[in-house]
Amino acid sequence: MESRQLQLKINPLPTLTWNFLKLNSAVIDETVTLNGRGKSTIQNIPRGVIVSSGSCEECGGCDISAIQDIRQMKTGLGAEADAFFEEVTDDMLHIRSKKNMQISEPLCISYEFADGDANAVRQEIIAEEDSRLTVIMDYTAGRKNGGFFGVQTRVKACRNSVVRLIKINLLGDSFLHFDGIAALVEEGAKVELLQMELGGGRNYTGTDIDLAGYKSEFAGNAAFLCLGDQMLDMNYYIGHRGKKSLSTLGVKGALRDRAVKNFRGTIDLKHGAKGAKGNEQEETLLLSDGVQNKTLPLILCDEDDVEGSHGATIGRLSQEMLFYMQTRGFTEHEAQVLMAKGQLNFVRDLIGDEKSVGRIQHYTEGVFGDDR
Amino acid sequence: MEKERTEVDDIDRSIYDFKDSEEGFYRIKEGLTKEIVEKISEEKHDPEWMRDFRLKSLEIYEKLEVPDWGPDISGLNIDDIVTYVRPNTKMSAKWEEVPDDIKNTFERLGIPQAERESLAGVGAQYDSELVYHNVKDEVSKTGVIYTDMESALTGEYEQMVKDHFMKLVPPTDHKFAALHGAVWSGGSFVYVPPGVKLDIPLQSYFRLNAAGAGQFEHTLIIVSEGADLHFIEGCSAPKYNVANLHAGCVELYVGKNARLRYSTIENWSKNMYNLNTKRAICEEGASIEWISGSFGSHVSYLYPSSILKGNDSHAEFTGITFAGRGQNLDTGAKMVHIGRDTSSFINTKSISKDGGISTYRSSVTVMPTAENAKASVSCASLMLDDISRSDTVPAMDIRTDKADIGHEAKIGRISDDAVFYLMSRGIDEEDAKAMIVSGFADPVSKELPLEYAVEMNNLIRLEMKGAIG
Repeated sequence: MESRQLQLKINPLPTLTWNFLKLNSAVIDETVTLNGRGKSTIQNIPRGVIVSSGSCEECGGCDISAIQDIRQMKTGLGAEADAFFEEVTDDMLHIRSKKNMQISEPLCISYEFADGDANAVRQEIIAEEDSRLTVIMDYTAGRKNGGFFGVQTRVKACRNSVVRLIKINLLGDSFLHFDGIAALVEEGAKVELLQMELGGGRNYTGTDIDLAGYKSEFAGNAAFLCLGDQMLDMNYYIGHRGKKSLSTLGVKGALRDRAVKNFRGTIDLKHGAKGAKGNEQEETLLLSDGVQNKTLPLILCDEDDVEGSHGATIGRLSQEMLFYMQTRGFTEHEAQVLMAKGQLNFVRDLIGDEKSVGRIQHYTEGVFGDDR
Repeated sequence: MEKERTEVDDIDRSIYDFKDSEEGFYRIKEGLTKEIVEKISEEKHDPEWMRDFRLKSLEIYEKLEVPDWGPDISGLNIDDIVTYVRPNTKMSAKWEEVPDDIKNTFERLGIPQAERESLAGVGAQYDSELVYHNVKDEVSKTGVIYTDMESALTGEYEQMVKDHFMKLVPPTDHKFAALHGAVWSGGSFVYVPPGVKLDIPLQSYFRLNAAGAGQFEHTLIIVSEGADLHFIEGCSAPKYNVANLHAGCVELYVGKNARLRYSTIENWSKNMYNLNTKRAICEEGASIEWISGSFGSHVSYLYPSSILKGNDSHAEFTGITFAGRGQNLDTGAKMVHIGRDTSSFINTKSISKDGGISTYRSSVTVMPTAENAKASVSCASLMLDDISRSDTVPAMDIRTDKADIGHEAKIGRISDDAVFYLMSRGIDEEDAKAMIVSGFADPVSKELPLEYAVEMNNLIRLEMKGAIG
């Protein structure tokens, strides 16, 4: 067990802007004592999926070039956080779908933590050519618990493959949480990312998507709920290199009490990515006076034959909507809860796994139940 | 037959790109030292407090770093810049008394003609000093003060200047604000008394003729309660092979229920580093409208800021940026909501071509006190070829739940669907494309006074020719 003073610049922007905004990166200055505790469970391994842990060479089942590609990927958390993961954990979970295997059943990995647990884990996911793979990860702890959980996930979606990666954060309100994601998407492949950021005290999620192949695609959807003193710092970078590559990113959620949320979303339309299209939309519902929301949606464009767009809507429940709901018998508070749940359901309903949906439902009912 | 690719021409700069002799001009030595700042202060007969202010600003300048964000300005070396060039004439209120070569310069730029036809008053700055300043009698009679900063500084308005000068943009704001505080020269002072509404605009025109020089004019405008003013600013320079620097400062105080429209057509030459700072503060019920066209400069950092301090105050920014070959134009706006029921609207367009880089950068900050704040941001960028670049970097910092904030941005090229639609209505392709590009710039040009809209159209000269590329 070793105490570490973490001093990291995390979630860096690909291009800097005014320093007074304090959005160029987030700064971590905390002591973390990694104790390796926490239980991970793989509920079942669907047919056609290979799961192994330890060093990759022991498995021997993967294409070496795929492993080299995946090792070089940078997550959206940035170089300093990536180096931190390299340093603190050798343990690696390898997940691979075999060529041509269309696997409809998800691979579910659960991480459970007690108060004081502190752990960092890494996964590498490779979807081989023409395969389809769904991986669901959920991180759970008691609502009042504290600790640290760092997770780094790298994905390689080989030609014409589809990877669905679903991450559900149900950590305790005093957890420090890092979630670094990187994906390389080859020709005709698609990565779908669904995130439910509900728990955790100080959450940093950083996603870096490399749309390298022709007609490669990324569809990201994230929902968040930050209450009390929760803080969520998000960084998305979507680089379009492939011709006719396509990306969509939708982020929706609600802030209440003294919650803080930072969102950085970059669509980078690189030179040569002719026909590429990128779109990001953010919607944040503000439910209390003391909340703070920062939003920075960037488009970097080095090519003319492309389309890039972004939109953001930030504000309270509209007076018209509130009035309508009050005429239907809801109090203002009930109307706010209903609308906040609506923001979350937009992602929850895309998950398609009953057990996961049930856990989310249980968590949100617990959170809003405390208000009664 | 070889097809001709549809082209959009560069801005025609020939009407701006002429140089005059500097014979007889006073030119301070290059660089920035305490001695140079003291010499400028002495030459300008500053009051004691201004001399101290300059020296304090120099100290701040030396401590501050250049920005670590934005376009590269490593080609700008302050040791090579002449911070003060005084033409061989005194300021006059009659065009006939202005030396012929300087007068010809402004004649070619159309300034006297504009004054005769459509302006309430005109100031013309040549290098570091104003050479002409005049305001129509009927405007003077309303109590409107429109004069050069130097006269305001030593005359009956000294205290008013002292109370406002660089209070909105303090020298600590950034390195080039500190530089401005140290070496500023020229610019205009405008005071509009309570309730006075000027129907026709005032205009200042800034011309930087000297090679390797900097222009650091200061514009201070105070619009009192219930007053109304439209102020127009234009600027240009001939092109040299050495770097020129423009680090002006504009401070606008908009009183209770007052309205100020500030229009700028910036057309500096392509060797210019344009590091300009503009800021307005609005009291209760006040309104500031920025109209901004950025066409010139090698590098620009330009983000007019509006501080909505008073309840019910309102700000609008409408801007267009055209970045051509060798240009890196980083433009946008900042809005700060402090008062209740405040509102702001940003609407920008940018066009990049021939390897030009345009960046839209903005921030909307809603403070906890700004209940019922409303803000809307809309930016659109048009890429005219695949060797240019266009970025958008818009930030929003919202600290109250009682706010409604919307943002949208779009980057792309001329839509094939739109061209097809117009062609299906009988318009040929080159006209269709010309129409689309003109329409893209239209939201800005229609906000400009007629003579400036004409100038803008001259500047853009969106010529579409040939068939399809």
